[in-house]
Amino acid sequence: MNINVVTVIGANGTMGCRVSGIFASFGDAKVYMVSRELEAAYKAKAKAVMSVRAEAIASNLIPKTYCDLEECISESDLVFESVAEDISVKKNVYKGFAEYVRPNAIVATGTSGLSVNQLSECFDEKIRRRFVGMHMYNPPYYMTLCEVIPSRYTDARIVDEIKTYLKDVLYRDVVEVKDEPAFMGNRIGFQFINEAMQYAEVYKDNGGIDYIDSILGPFTGRSMPPLVTSDFVGLDVHKAIADNIYHNTSDYAHKSFAMPEFALELILQGKLGKKSGCGLYQTVVKADGSRIVNVYDIVTGEYRVREQFVFPFAKEMIQEFKVGNYAQAFRKLISNHSVEATICIQFLIKYVIYAISISKSIGEDIHSADIVMSRGFDWVPPLAAIDAFGGVESFKKIASNRLSKEFLSSIDIDDILTDIPRSRCDFRPFFKAR
Amino acid sequence: MKKVDRNIYLLGGAQTDFARNWSKEGKGVLALLKEVIDDGLKNIGLTYDDISQLNKQSRIACFVGNFIGEYYINQGHLGALLTEVHPAFYGVPSARYEAACASGSVALDAAMTKIRAEDYDLGLVIGWELMKTVDSKSCGDFLGRAAFYEDEAAGIDFPFPKLFGKLADVTIDKYNLDEERYLDNLAKISSKNYSNAKRNPNAQTRKWFMNEAQAKARGTVTNDIIGGRLSISDCSQVTDGAALVAIASEEFMEERYKSIEHPVVVKGWGHRVAPMRFGSKIEASSNNEYILPWTRQAILDAYRRANMTMDDIDVFEIHDCFTSSEYAAISAFGITDPGYEYKAIESGEVFFDGDKPINPSGGLIGCGHPVGATGVRMILDSYKQIAGQAEGLPINAC
Repeated sequence: MNINVVTVIGANGTMGCRVSGIFASFGDAKVYMVSRELEAAYKAKAKAVMSVRAEAIASNLIPKTYCDLEECISESDLVFESVAEDISVKKNVYKGFAEYVRPNAIVATGTSGLSVNQLSECFDEKIRRRFVGMHMYNPPYYMTLCEVIPSRYTDARIVDEIKTYLKDVLYRDVVEVKDEPAFMGNRIGFQFINEAMQYAEVYKDNGGIDYIDSILGPFTGRSMPPLVTSDFVGLDVHKAIADNIYHNTSDYAHKSFAMPEFALELILQGKLGKKSGCGLYQTVVKADGSRIVNVYDIVTGEYRVREQFVFPFAKEMIQEFKVGNYAQAFRKLISNHSVEATICIQFLIKYVIYAISISKSIGEDIHSADIVMSRGFDWVPPLAAIDAFGGVESFKKIASNRLSKEFLSSIDIDDILTDIPRSRCDFRPFFKAR
Repeated sequence: MKKVDRNIYLLGGAQTDFARNWSKEGKGVLALLKEVIDDGLKNIGLTYDDISQLNKQSRIACFVGNFIGEYYINQGHLGALLTEVHPAFYGVPSARYEAACASGSVALDAAMTKIRAEDYDLGLVIGWELMKTVDSKSCGDFLGRAAFYEDEAAGIDFPFPKLFGKLADVTIDKYNLDEERYLDNLAKISSKNYSNAKRNPNAQTRKWFMNEAQAKARGTVTNDIIGGRLSISDCSQVTDGAALVAIASEEFMEERYKSIEHPVVVKGWGHRVAPMRFGSKIEASSNNEYILPWTRQAILDAYRRANMTMDDIDVFEIHDCFTSSEYAAISAFGITDPGYEYKAIESGEVFFDGDKPINPSGGLIGCGHPVGATGVRMILDSYKQIAGQAEGLPINAC
């Protein structure tokens, strides 16, 4: 597949801009960066250049506006739509350019969870065959995952060609995913993050947000704690993803996608997270330039200084990771029956179980979730986490001992954990000593 | 010169993922060493119990390559440090070898010598460096201790890029080269090594973007000048990492690895030291056709010991700490005459699909350069090519 010219629509958005950088650098494509305003397109161009650290690609990036759509689209081998996550907005945009799409061009949406089937129905049959979801993660220069989501109309041969292009030319880690709400990465990731948020409410008298984040910190196989991630992504975006899954799926984890009251209240108050100055956390810069991180206290409804919780199990695990004793670290976790260690074990086990069941149902194979979670979230790949727990049999035993009866009765654990292959990934880099 | 009369065998080994930042992971040298030793032993089919047994029979020794752990992590006595990794190393003869960027290589040289002398049957060569413990300026200053510090590095920001920038200057002068053409060829070397690294699952830069145009865009924000005519793209990067290779005697191969159909043999080696100060180097080579005659001599020594010529060699792993050093190495290896290195670059001869590929692994520029690990990583990547274990990066050698 030769992709020499690309039009990115909505190129002034965070993803539109950065994806333009990927096409222009690794893909060496001429990229028309279409925005509502030309000034915004120029600003996005400068950001796209820096996002791949390469001024040499600047000549590949051409700022344009919607007025230029005919010229851009009629020259493009690939059209990448990256406008607001609203089906009616997307439909309007599609109407504006569909007639200019070249006969062999690919049309892709960067949606992070809207139905690709539904979106493809905005086009005639010819374009539908060449329409696909192409979901990259932010920032794409570092997070190399690309979920490819064919619609029921997409030509299978074209899907293969697109996957080859993404892998071999753009150096993406590609996973083909079924057209299910939020696809795979966000489904698995936000199950964990949203449930962590629910637990923050349940354990609000123990500290709430920073309490839960301290239980599920980088030493549990991720670069940042789950609620810091939510704050980083933005509570509004978090809500859009969680609501979409909550309203459109009905698996055993359904309830865990309901956002807790306190978070809905924060959204109403416009406290959306890092981007609006405060959310779950709040960074305050003092007069002397030093920074204090505050956290939202669910009980009082006020911000207070973040607690430095030190749980014995976490401290011991971190000490073992520091010197590379992974097996000992997990032995210490497993043998600890404190409230905090139990929450930690339960979250890790439930993450693995949910990831495997989703990988089996909407991925290419059972390894899909490993690629998705490591390359899209920088979280320990679920199958690799089983290795860290000492293998399938040991994992199953710990799950039976440490998960609640209620949870165990909601799943068929033997079925989920049948024929589990060894992970192709190494778990060691993911468990941080902090 | 004495020829090699007993075969020395390479058994394989392991390296850590050079993209990892161990400081960011919060992990220290013991975690690094445990990983590379665990993985290395697994790769060669040995256990810690085997090490204990071999040590009881006085058949094993360890050789640690490291440049300057005393500065980066406040740790010396690096041979003995292995005992903190596993009790199996208690009593195993082990010492640290240091020769700046050649630390890993001189550790290997020591291991080969002791195997050849029949002192031991198995040598574990472990090279490592943790460099991301400090900011880049301090890192550059620490590395300056590989030059004559007092005169060439003290108080100078990034002294080594400046020294290799001078090598570029002298190369242009000595061979009367067109400056632009020479710099374009350095950009081709850089983009080649980045491109080769894309196939290497352990390379530091495997996810990074670099092409010839970006390598040529010297003096921009994203490719700033760092030493004379050289930019960031001309340099290997600051890297954390470790590599292990195992060297074995004929007896050990006979005893344990008889089933290997085509064992990998180290056929030759060369080791020469050049004048330390850059000025002395250049002054001493001013009447020689080679800009680095000591490098040339070390290569001739290796060819002679191996009873081979450049024509017999299918693939080269060379020390491209900077593009200007890979450029000079082309003639030192005899791929071209001195002064005509550009021919091998412009014709594509040294590219992945060329007749004499240089650094199919990505080299130091593509893989990263954890100083003490590099020599070991280079021999490990060469081993992988010959043993057919180069994941994603096999050269079509006949």
